Amino acid sequence: MKLTFLKALGTSAAISLMAASSVWATECIAPANPGGGWDFTCRQIGKILFDIGQVDAPVQVTNMAGAGGGLAFSTVVAERNEDADLIVAASSATTTRLAQKAFGDATADQVRFVGAIGGDPGVIVVAKDSPFQSLTDMVEAIKADPASVAFAGGSAAGGFDHMKPLQVLKAAGFNDITAVKYIGVDGGADAITQTVGGFTQAMTGDMSEIVGFIKSGEVRALAVLTEERVPGFEDIPTAKEQGYDVVAVNWRGLYVPGGISDADFQKWADRLQAVADSDEWKEAMAANGLAPFTKVGGDFQTWIDGVIAETADLSREIGVIQ
Amino acid sequence: MELFSNLALGFGVALSPLTLFLAVVGCFLGTIIGALPGLGPSNGVAILIPITFSLGLDATAALVLLTSVYYGAMYGGRISSILLNIPGDEPAMMTTLDGYPMAKNGRAGDALVISGVASFVGALLATLALALVAPYLARIAYKFGPAEYFALYALAFATLGGMASNNQAKAALASFIGLGIALIGLDNNSGFTRFTGGNLHLSDGVDFLVAIVGLFAVSEVFVFIETHGKSSAVGVKLGKVTVPWKDLWETRWTMLRSSAVGFIAGVLPGAGASLGSFMTYMMEKGIAGENGGFGSGAIKGVAAPEAGNNAAAGGALVPMLTLGVPGSGTTAVLLAVLMTLNITPGPTLFSDRPDVVWGLIASLLIANFVLLAMNVPMVKVFVKILMVPPAVLLPAVTMISFVGIYSLSGSYFDLVLMIAFGVMGYAFRKMDIPTVPVILGILLGYQMENNLRHAMTLSGGEWTYLFSSPIAAVLWIAAFLGFFAPVFLRRYLKKPQLIED
Amino acid sequence: MKTDRIFGVVVILVALTFIVSAYNLPAGNVFDKLGPKAFPIIVGVGMILSAAMLVFKPDTEPDWPAIPTLLALALATVVLVGYAYALKPLGFLVPTAIAAAVLSYQISPKPMPAVLTGLGLSVGLFVIFKFALGLSLFALPRGLMG
Repeated sequence: MKLTFLKALGTSAAISLMAASSVWATECIAPANPGGGWDFTCRQIGKILFDIGQVDAPVQVTNMAGAGGGLAFSTVVAERNEDADLIVAASSATTTRLAQKAFGDATADQVRFVGAIGGDPGVIVVAKDSPFQSLTDMVEAIKADPASVAFAGGSAAGGFDHMKPLQVLKAAGFNDITAVKYIGVDGGADAITQTVGGFTQAMTGDMSEIVGFIKSGEVRALAVLTEERVPGFEDIPTAKEQGYDVVAVNWRGLYVPGGISDADFQKWADRLQAVADSDEWKEAMAANGLAPFTKVGGDFQTWIDGVIAETADLSREIGVIQ
Repeated sequence: MELFSNLALGFGVALSPLTLFLAVVGCFLGTIIGALPGLGPSNGVAILIPITFSLGLDATAALVLLTSVYYGAMYGGRISSILLNIPGDEPAMMTTLDGYPMAKNGRAGDALVISGVASFVGALLATLALALVAPYLARIAYKFGPAEYFALYALAFATLGGMASNNQAKAALASFIGLGIALIGLDNNSGFTRFTGGNLHLSDGVDFLVAIVGLFAVSEVFVFIETHGKSSAVGVKLGKVTVPWKDLWETRWTMLRSSAVGFIAGVLPGAGASLGSFMTYMMEKGIAGENGGFGSGAIKGVAAPEAGNNAAAGGALVPMLTLGVPGSGTTAVLLAVLMTLNITPGPTLFSDRPDVVWGLIASLLIANFVLLAMNVPMVKVFVKILMVPPAVLLPAVTMISFVGIYSLSGSYFDLVLMIAFGVMGYAFRKMDIPTVPVILGILLGYQMENNLRHAMTLSGGEWTYLFSSPIAAVLWIAAFLGFFAPVFLRRYLKKPQLIED
Repeated sequence: MKTDRIFGVVVILVALTFIVSAYNLPAGNVFDKLGPKAFPIIVGVGMILSAAMLVFKPDTEPDWPAIPTLLALALATVVLVGYAYALKPLGFLVPTAIAAAVLSYQISPKPMPAVLTGLGLSVGLFVIFKFALGLSLFALPRGLMG
């Protein structure tokens, strides 16, 4: 009697273990609380991977918030370095923080960046009654008096939003970038409110943050920081066509543990490419204000290395890192 | 008209079965929470927040549930005021003055109905006023830069602190302690960790929910252990409840006047519902004169404070939603809800999340009718619940608090921190140090520091920038007056004590 | 009198360590004029000023409970801390029953109702949390549940 009971217990435990390992074949870590961009990346990519048959079980999404993504990064490096069934949501914030050593001693080469399959284009906007009609107007005004234009953005000083106007100014040959004022507020909407209210002269942020305000006519976009004009917003000129060769896109993508085999890495690159090509992803991008921005596999790693080097140089120059 | 399309959007959200269900549940729970002595809107909402989040409700649903509890508690507070002579919560204090004498004269049913209808009138008018006023105020908020926000926060601390305690120094100290706690943890701007003493648990800061539940709910247990839950007052029996139409008609102007005054008192940052009921009671007492019979069971003395405090509860939502500055202890708790849901109150809330704002307003309108039904025809149900002894109630509150916080963070450290806040809340209450400014400090500390830092960055380090705009200057003057005026007015503003048997 | 004075002095000491700790933080730069140290120092000074008011102009002494009641409060605190640590390893039911019974007895010293309150709350709340609200609680120590 007793023995059968124990046996039954053992069997059921074994079954539940097996069930556990097959149901959660793939895990996607969103290094933030539910509701943000990384959470979106995991949930959308995870869902589409299953819907288009790239994985045979639904992808489990784990939220691991902490240290701006640093907790997830160090956990992956230290504990799951060879887990081929693990993907982690990443974006420009990940590389900016890596470049600025915000994750402690962690470096970008400890993981492998699979690719980006969409992005939120960087923009620079002013209030509708601003005297600046073009990016050049603004750059000239800053050259004449660096303290005359203050920027507001949704990231902290030294963050991605702060870097965008500085990159433009560098491209314009202006090097006294530490004289340009910037305040980092709580998100793009707040930054626009400050700019519309006249407390700052310009807002730097992502396209998705300004869509509503562009439509209501409260702000005017001076430039979008992409290679080409963004579909649906063809009247906003790129910085490039105004003579400032700057591309800054808040990309959405994935990294995987650094210790997995090249074959496994290639498998993820192929899967991600399949997601990028799917109609489901195109719909999800349109619904969330993302523009196409696909770089997958080896090219992406090279591009990432370049971005990190550039961010690190700029950060050193403005004193965010030593 | 824009208002109607907005309200239509709101009702579209609010009339979904789930939202409707949550509003009814919230009203029911709220009325119980308000009626039970020892539980009021702020600690009632506080213990429910963690549970609500563990349920995984979306922003609108969570907000509807918790604000229904908030409105329900404002209604329910009067029940124990009238029947037990113990205010169910602080704003219901003024209702004891005439409600209990009425009950002793055998008119408990009438008092409950009149106060219930007055609550309905006050809350309904205030919710409508909220729908009318808030969008305009939201537009004014474009005129608020870092300097103005910093002054506004100072005003909130000054008026709340000025009213909350009998000793300005203690109110100020409580605010600074709250601000100090808010500074613990990682500083987002510089990336430096501050005041953690190397403790990793503290590097993400002190969770304000832990502080709120500790200060408001756990501390209550200690108070009841000290007093052994003894309440000197004797309950009054409730007979048959009928609707006294004549009395209701007689108090119609009282209800309308009190709603208006209460709403304005609620909108002022930091003033809140207690001030609303106090001001309206004193106003009606003045209008009625010596022959009004105030204090010995006047029907207007029941109608005025209930219309006033419910209107103030609606009014207090205005600064909370449009500027992110809570007008009372409970709206501070609701602000914590919004912040946890990743919703930034302020002008952009109305354009970014109209579903949240208008869904909330529509739900409040619906909740009012639900509450009228619960608090007039069904009032006897809640009277029965009043009989729950503290020896059962308080342990239950404690266990709910523990499970709530534990299911949210899963950390022993947070539970122990919550107990520490409970002990602190008890000691502060003994020493007459108000706890609401502590909460306000923890909630607003991050914003206040950021706005100060932004203001200084924009001005290039020029301190006069803080006072340079007309709005900022007016806010600073109001803060100064709000903090020091009660010192001189205290003789006149002295809160009447509970009448003794 | 005494309480306010003692509390005031304690706050001043805490505020001083707060300020010292803030002084060791880096100063601001052009993007953040004040840096992480200025506001904490302002708050610390505010604490010291308002605490000093308490030391110099204390209110009348609060009526602290007598020693036995203070001991009861201390016991309640110990029970709560114990409860916090017991919740995970021992499951929900047993620690909740014990803690609730002790608190109930402390509020109203009648043994039978207290025990019943403990049992009732433990089972009742478990049912509500687990089945009505769907929280993941464990009734008993996880080791026993296979």
